[in-house]
Amino acid sequence: MFINIAFRNIFRQKRRSILTGLSISAGYVLFALTLSLIEGSYSNMIKLFTENHIGHIQIHSDDYLTRPKIYKSINDKSKIERVLSADQRIISFTPRAYSPALSFSEEKTGPVQLIGIDPEKEPTVSRLREKITEGSFFKEPQDASDKVHALISKSLAIKLGLEINDEFVLIGQGADGSIANDIFIVSGTVGSKSSSDKTSVYVPLTTMQAFLSLNNNVHEYALLISDISQAQKVSQNLQSALSDFVVSPWQVVEEVFFKSMEADKQGNWIFLALVMIIVFIGVLNTIFMSVLERTREFGVMRAIGFRAVGLVTLIFTETILLTLLSLFLGILVALPLVFWFSEVGYMFPEPMDMGGIEFQHLKGELSFKVLFVPMGIVFLFATLTSALPAIRASRLTPVDALGRF
Amino acid sequence: MRQILVLLLCLPLVVNGSEDQAKSIINEMEKLYRGNSSEVSLTMQVETPHYRRSLEIFGQTLGKERAIFRIISPKKDKGITTLRRDNEMWNFFPKINKVIKVPPSMMMGSWMGSDFTNDDLVQETKLVEEYDLELIIDSETFLIILTPKEETISLWGKIDYLIQKDPLLPLKQSFFDDYGTKVRELVYKDPKVFGGKLLPSAMEMIPLNKPGYVTKLFYNQLEFDPEGVSEKSFSLRALKKRI
Repeated sequence: MFINIAFRNIFRQKRRSILTGLSISAGYVLFALTLSLIEGSYSNMIKLFTENHIGHIQIHSDDYLTRPKIYKSINDKSKIERVLSADQRIISFTPRAYSPALSFSEEKTGPVQLIGIDPEKEPTVSRLREKITEGSFFKEPQDASDKVHALISKSLAIKLGLEINDEFVLIGQGADGSIANDIFIVSGTVGSKSSSDKTSVYVPLTTMQAFLSLNNNVHEYALLISDISQAQKVSQNLQSALSDFVVSPWQVVEEVFFKSMEADKQGNWIFLALVMIIVFIGVLNTIFMSVLERTREFGVMRAIGFRAVGLVTLIFTETILLTLLSLFLGILVALPLVFWFSEVGYMFPEPMDMGGIEFQHLKGELSFKVLFVPMGIVFLFATLTSALPAIRASRLTPVDALGRF
Repeated sequence: MRQILVLLLCLPLVVNGSEDQAKSIINEMEKLYRGNSSEVSLTMQVETPHYRRSLEIFGQTLGKERAIFRIISPKKDKGITTLRRDNEMWNFFPKINKVIKVPPSMMMGSWMGSDFTNDDLVQETKLVEEYDLELIIDSETFLIILTPKEETISLWGKIDYLIQKDPLLPLKQSFFDDYGTKVRELVYKDPKVFGGKLLPSAMEMIPLNKPGYVTKLFYNQLEFDPEGVSEKSFSLRALKKRI
């Protein structure tokens, strides 16, 4: 009976209902779209960030991640590779070795970060190959006596005054305490002058291992998984399978980035809350007005025996019905919008630089969370908003209500 | 009774010697290994918790101020050479054909990944000139306490140099930091006769602040005043000589 009366009441004042409904719908669409863009731009950034170099999950020996030392290396490679290959969720993985070194060209010197990579596996995990701006990706040296090819970051090439096929020298400390020294040839440059990666030198892993007397050891495994949102879960599973090592999802590897991102997201919720408050002050206003206008009607209802609780229920039902209708309308609008943003997106005319990563494509995210979290919140807010007018209406006595106009 | 007292006063168990005496003892110690000129083949064993490495080294010295050390094996490091002239030091890397001067800031850095510093190679001879010496004579040993002179820039707050009296051989050097904590120890071991001279054939450098680390040095051969060691052997050209 309440639903019938509620429907009748909603449709009796069409214009008022439509206005209230539209403001709820618009609030919902705004909310869903903002959330979608926030989530979308972050997941886009995370995707760029992780696929740039670090991967979704990394495996190290001991506390290499926080306190890298050349001797904290992984020597049981076959076990790790067996476990990684067996896991269906893992798309690709690659071993790496790191060491600081000193570089010398004809006239200049400079510190570098030397990175040993597997030329075959590395491109399946990171974008290194795509980032080459000049020259070419290297191949494994054919012959032990051949000089080794290396990829160097563009900034370093400029700093040392090196061109493609120029020679340069690296000196570092080997894992056995020896002084590692050798001549390398520039086979390509990585990134641009403005890239954050200013001192990297990439050499084939086997060369690196010989150079630093690492034997067959590596410092890191980086891997990509099919669903990045599962990184923490997959990481935990791997950790229990590989108890001798430390498995870290990207959230741990890039803790600073992750934390500042989380803080930023918190800030965005405050912004969203403000949007919601503005929308619901409007809703509150319309409901109040309708209650006020219907004082006489409520008085009559009370006079013919309608109880106060009944009035409250009626007003609640009306608001809930109206909200549900508005949300239905809202989702009809929001779904294609969010879908368009997540599939096509918007290209900024100028790329933004965020923590060394070029960011140009604004994309939304289409997910259960983006559509239904706002829905829940809007529904809750609308119901709460109607509580105040409802209580007010229930306090009316028939005499006052009828006598007022 | 009085006679006994006088006798006791005349025979103290520990006698403080003069600074000159201390100087001559240290000079004696330094001549022990060096002679006028020398040629030496050494094995250096570096042991750490993470790795263990053995190097064969061939060295030549002339006087106090000239020394050259060449790595003979392992193959990877073969030919890496260190030249020391007066207070300066250079390393030569044959693979990259590069001579790199060891800058003053690197003097406390490790020499070839061992627990010996570059400074140990250069400064060893400066003890007499840059430190105040105090000699304590015990029944079987001399203990020379070296404290850096006012104007000396030294890493060590104090060095205790323990020397055996008969035969006159070094036993141990203990290095203390400015707070009086012992930070490393150089122990001389296993005296053998080389070229008619008795001298310890092994040394162990133990950094006490790095548990598990030790560098052992073994003298395989030591020849004094050999032929072919002259000023020319210590030129930058000689440094770049390929072996």
